[in-house]
Amino acid sequence: MLPEPDAPVAPWSRGLVRRVIPFAAIAAIFAVQALADASPVLAFPLYLAVVLLAALQVGRTESVAAATLAAIAILIRPLVTGAQASDLAPALLLAVVLVVVTVAVGEAARQARETAVEAQRRAARTAAAEQRVRTMLEAAMVGLALTDLDGRWTQVNEQLSRILGRNRDDILQTPLGALTAEGDRQVIDEALALLRSGDIVHWEGELTHVRPDGTLVPVAVAIAKPSPEANLLVVQETDISERRRVELIRDCLVAVRQAILDPTSWDQTVPVVLGSLGTYLDWDVALYWMVDSEGKSLRARHVWRSRGASLDEFLEQSRALNLTGGTGLVSRVWRSGVVGSEANLEQVNDYERLDAARRADLQAALALPVVDGGAVIGVIELLGRRPRSLRDDEVTALATVGLELGQFIRRSETAQALRRSEADHRAIYERSPIGIARISAEGELLEANGALLGMVEHDFETMRASAWPDLLRAYDQAASRHRAAPLLAGITGGDSVQVRAVTASGKWLWLQLTATSIPDASGRPEHVLVMVEDVTTVRDTSDKLAEALESQRSANANLEKLDRTKTEFLSIVSHEFRTALTGIQGFSELIRDGGLEPDELRAYGGYIFNDADRVNRLIGDMLDLDRMESGRMSMRSGAVDINEVLSEAMARAGTAASTVEFKADLDPRLPIVSGDRDRLIQVVSNLVNNAIKYSPDGGTVTLSSRAEGGFALVSISDTGLGIPPDEIGHVFERFRRVRSGAAQSIPGTGLGLTIVKQIVEMHGGKIWVESAVGHGSAFHFTVPMAVESTSPMQLLHG
Amino acid sequence: MAEAGQGGAGGQRSGDGSALFTVLVADDNDVAQRLCKRVLEKAGYGVLIAADGLQAVDIALKQRPAMILMDVAMPGIDGLEAMRRIKLEMPALPIVIASAHSMASDRERFLAAGADDVLSKPFRLADLIAIVTKLAAEPK
Repeated sequence: MLPEPDAPVAPWSRGLVRRVIPFAAIAAIFAVQALADASPVLAFPLYLAVVLLAALQVGRTESVAAATLAAIAILIRPLVTGAQASDLAPALLLAVVLVVVTVAVGEAARQARETAVEAQRRAARTAAAEQRVRTMLEAAMVGLALTDLDGRWTQVNEQLSRILGRNRDDILQTPLGALTAEGDRQVIDEALALLRSGDIVHWEGELTHVRPDGTLVPVAVAIAKPSPEANLLVVQETDISERRRVELIRDCLVAVRQAILDPTSWDQTVPVVLGSLGTYLDWDVALYWMVDSEGKSLRARHVWRSRGASLDEFLEQSRALNLTGGTGLVSRVWRSGVVGSEANLEQVNDYERLDAARRADLQAALALPVVDGGAVIGVIELLGRRPRSLRDDEVTALATVGLELGQFIRRSETAQALRRSEADHRAIYERSPIGIARISAEGELLEANGALLGMVEHDFETMRASAWPDLLRAYDQAASRHRAAPLLAGITGGDSVQVRAVTASGKWLWLQLTATSIPDASGRPEHVLVMVEDVTTVRDTSDKLAEALESQRSANANLEKLDRTKTEFLSIVSHEFRTALTGIQGFSELIRDGGLEPDELRAYGGYIFNDADRVNRLIGDMLDLDRMESGRMSMRSGAVDINEVLSEAMARAGTAASTVEFKADLDPRLPIVSGDRDRLIQVVSNLVNNAIKYSPDGGTVTLSSRAEGGFALVSISDTGLGIPPDEIGHVFERFRRVRSGAAQSIPGTGLGLTIVKQIVEMHGGKIWVESAVGHGSAFHFTVPMAVESTSPMQLLHG
Repeated sequence: MAEAGQGGAGGQRSGDGSALFTVLVADDNDVAQRLCKRVLEKAGYGVLIAADGLQAVDIALKQRPAMILMDVAMPGIDGLEAMRRIKLEMPALPIVIASAHSMASDRERFLAAGADDVLSKPFRLADLIAIVTKLAAEPK
């Protein structure tokens, strides 16, 4: 309503104008009123309007001043005219009303103005804050956006548009669900539905978005509903492709390690490894090139390909290729042992299968060496349809794969060799004609092969439960007999023990058990292998053979002894004969040569006769002894009265020897014995003659007889030279004559006592001697009494 | 066999003269003693008699005969042991072993034990005289 100056005026001048205007307006109205001589009452609305406007527009002081001026203008005419009080009162009332209204309105206007200023200030603050938030949103490293409850974008930051690979307008026109890859669309739709319904106010997940060029980008998404009633959603998205890539490399390594964990066959494992590399690292072809045994060439041995790709021509060329060198990727990696790659095959010209690769639309290639002990034994080649460069962590991971594969190959070769060897051993074990048992360190039968079970005619269970423990006991018993260790203690191997065992059908076998302990890593016996052989036939044969050998051996020993005895005997006999013949030959030669005195002749004839007689007796004794020893001497057995034999022998000797005195101490009740009388006389005569011979200085020879047990005991004792202690043990041996000291020249054949002993023993009796040098000797012998005779001698002796 | 009498005391008689070549006959068999004595004395040698090994050693050392005719099988120490003892004292004294041990190996055995010669019994008288004569003819 107030005129505003058109021209730009300085603020201070504009304020001055505004302040002056009300006063000018009041003055103008007063002038008009005065001129028209109108009642102030009539001019009042005009004054009121001006004052109100002033109160609304200008400051409080000015508006009050204006109101006062207007009040004066109203009052001045009545006052000047001196109108009556009745005329003055309305004017005064009007003036007061004017001032009061002005003050009130001015106050109200001032308050309104203050409120407006405050509101304006607040608005400015809000705008600044909004600007800061916006800057922050735009600068944020995460994608941020607002959508409505259906996922339609209302606001999107720059980062999100970068993530999605679209400009903002493009995004604003495409709802969240439509930007999401097919597979994840249902997930996000469900999430939005839940958020819409208010069941949840927050959702987090991972989605894959599709970029306009068709590539996929994995994102981590968080969607928040600020309040349950809000009709917008705050969406936050983070690009996780890098994390995914690292995770895939890690997963790939895990998959490869999983595949090579079990060292089965390389041929089965390689396709799995190639598939893992291809799938996780997003390649379309994976090839394993193997270095030949001489290290001269490479050939593709295993192939993996992604599904649906038309790679036949490329793979066929690869299989046909025999790489012997060159600068191609695979050859390069083979030589260098370092992971290599071709980021873009379009720019490569030394790749061997370039045309085929191009036709198959393969753009990038990568090769990694498979290393064992520093040598490249193979190369894995990966090819893909999109160009890409190799990252450090990928190179490290692939180099690791190469190393681990190399180790795996060696392990698998070892394992294969082991399996082959194990299979061979298993076959040997199962088909062996020798029984084999594997037992625990506690003696429990763990395993028994067919040969063993067949041998003992048991099935495994009965074998384990009863037959084996029996066998084990038999082993230990046999082992202890041979001072060997029990089966379970300290066996190192090699010792065999033969035991007797019975089969299920009751057949007795000789089993030879050979135990070998198999120690565990710490050297403790883990289990024991026992070889069991049926040696029944061998054993029977060898028993017979041993028997035959034994009898042969003893026969040989006897023969040898006999031979030795014979040689010895011959030597002694020839010596005896030659000694006797020395005299015979020498003196007969003297006689023959003549010229001897008659007494010489007589003496020499006597020597010759004596020695000839001695030779004759020697021959007789020898023949007797031979007959007795060979059992060819016949005994004319009959009832013999020992006392009568003793008496006769004494009578014969007494006539020849006058130097000794005879005494008889005969038991008159002595029963008769059974024997050969002539031989018994020979025995007694021989003993009596010896007693006389060895009593050169005379003495007493005593003959005694008595019954003792079932025997007649006869003793012939003398008081002669006696037998030295070192010779007494040999007196009954052939040609052993006591010749020491005074006895040395006492003649004899040396066979007499041997013959005596033979005769006594042929009668079933015994002979022995007691003697002391210088005191004499006593020979005792026994003859068994006749069986049916206890008293017939009574008959004989009366 | 046994000729009676003639106990242990073998002839200890000295030779007839100091000029004589004296032979010690060591033999436990008195027939052999007599034969040798008769034959050697007839041939002009002096004869000493020993009836066992110990006597032989004793007489040999005391009476120093010119040679010994030694039997082997004698009571006490045998002829070989007697020979060993005598040779210890008188290594140059010729000893002829006269033994009825006349198996093939015996001769070698006796020579190996140190005998100067061996005479097997029974012997021809000429052989006995030849051995003694040969030793008597050798310069001392």
